[in-house]
Amino acid sequence: MAKDKNTNTLVELSAQLSAAVEQIGGHVVAIHARRRIPSSGVIWRDGVIVSASHTVRRDGDVRVKLPSGDDAVAEVAGRDAATDLVVLRAPEVKAPPAPRADASAARVGSFVLAVGRPGRTVTASFGIVSADIEGWRSGSGARLDRLLRLDLAVYDGFSGGPLVAASGGVIGINNSAFARGGAAALPASVVDSVVDELLTRGHIRRPFIGVGVHPVALGSALVKRNNLTNDVALVVVSIAEGEAADAAGILLGDLLIAVDGRALARPSDLLDALSTVPEGGSLRAMVLRGGVPHEVVIEPRDRDRDGAAA
Amino acid sequence: MTTTHATPAYTIASDASWLASALRSAVVEIRSPAGGGAGIVWGGAGLVVTTHCVHKNGSLTIEANGKTHSAESIAFARDHDLALIHAPSVSGPIFELRDVGTLRPGELLFAYGHPLGVNHALAMGALHTVIRDKRTGDPRFIAANIRLAPGNSGGPLVDAEGKLVGVNSMIVGGLGVAIPAGVVHAFVTRATNLRAA
Repeated sequence: MAKDKNTNTLVELSAQLSAAVEQIGGHVVAIHARRRIPSSGVIWRDGVIVSASHTVRRDGDVRVKLPSGDDAVAEVAGRDAATDLVVLRAPEVKAPPAPRADASAARVGSFVLAVGRPGRTVTASFGIVSADIEGWRSGSGARLDRLLRLDLAVYDGFSGGPLVAASGGVIGINNSAFARGGAAALPASVVDSVVDELLTRGHIRRPFIGVGVHPVALGSALVKRNNLTNDVALVVVSIAEGEAADAAGILLGDLLIAVDGRALARPSDLLDALSTVPEGGSLRAMVLRGGVPHEVVIEPRDRDRDGAAA
Repeated sequence: MTTTHATPAYTIASDASWLASALRSAVVEIRSPAGGGAGIVWGGAGLVVTTHCVHKNGSLTIEANGKTHSAESIAFARDHDLALIHAPSVSGPIFELRDVGTLRPGELLFAYGHPLGVNHALAMGALHTVIRDKRTGDPRFIAANIRLAPGNSGGPLVDAEGKLVGVNSMIVGGLGVAIPAGVVHAFVTRATNLRAA
């Protein structure tokens, strides 16, 4: 096509986008830890690679293809089911960590690129940030501080790769497992806190007490008699033997009214209360048993595996 | 044009609409029993390039610049999903070809065609990757994250300058897949030489 203007803004934008991909591509590796197509990972810190946990099917040593084309060995240092992140230690990797984007680059409507390396070459997909969700709850019941929903194409090798700002720099780690295959990304701040904990502990601390609960409506007489602020409570429908709630004397059929002064209306309220308990701390639970209020102190235990029950 | 609203977003939008108007005269609509689609005017000798939109030796018509032209298919390359049409009364501007080796992942690409019967529609996306032959390393396909639909087939994939990157051929896993411009050029050269001989 004959052209009369060679330097239009589209050409400039296009050059900026491909330069952003090229720059970050030097910090994106291919991870060979599943069948068929390798998955993408990002050099997050010196000798540390971050990827999506569901794409890394093996523990122990995995083979990694570096941006230079060389092979290296990385070791799975830990993984977290809630954020679907996996952290690998790769001392052989000498490439520096991927540069970060400005915080302002990830607002709703910002132009972004999803970069991957499902093999030798870098791949990219272009779109916008469509939503910035605070306090997002994952399928396994865990609460994520923040999640970005994206309007761009998901492809093989998308999960585990970096979300890149149009102006360059990493915004977060892409993952298609959060939103039923839809494009989403965990912002770098969330990834940082998970990486810190996985590198020191090997897993993410998730306090749990070992009960299954269901919301129930309380009768008005019961509410009045006990001066309750809420007419809903959580009834204990199952107890894991030997776990914290069992040890504290919680019984089947107990009604959990509140913990640490916060009323419980939904099972997620209990999960939120648990997530704020410090290591070695305890919960003060207000329990109705046979219509009589009791106070029970429960010391949550740390669970390193995934599970939906609190 | 950019005196009162010279914000980057406005200029980008106006540049994209300039691109669409420039492509309009170089892209035709093909109607054939095979389904039809889009076609690219190739040179000034009444040649039109398209994909699987036409049958061998089938009757077909071409809609270009508001007129209907009769045409015939004259060459096929099954392995590349390409077809060449002769329509003596069709002419248009000539595309500059973009060398596939200079393409960079993430750069902006535009598809032009008639998706789902919507005539002369422009879609924007970015280069995903160039798919190469495992043995020879020759470029086979260009994958772009661009929303295509039936009716885009045979239409051009262009870069931000309007240079021809490829001919849109299929949709695989949500990605638009195009035949590289160099492959198309080789096909047309081969076909027209055979015809002349």
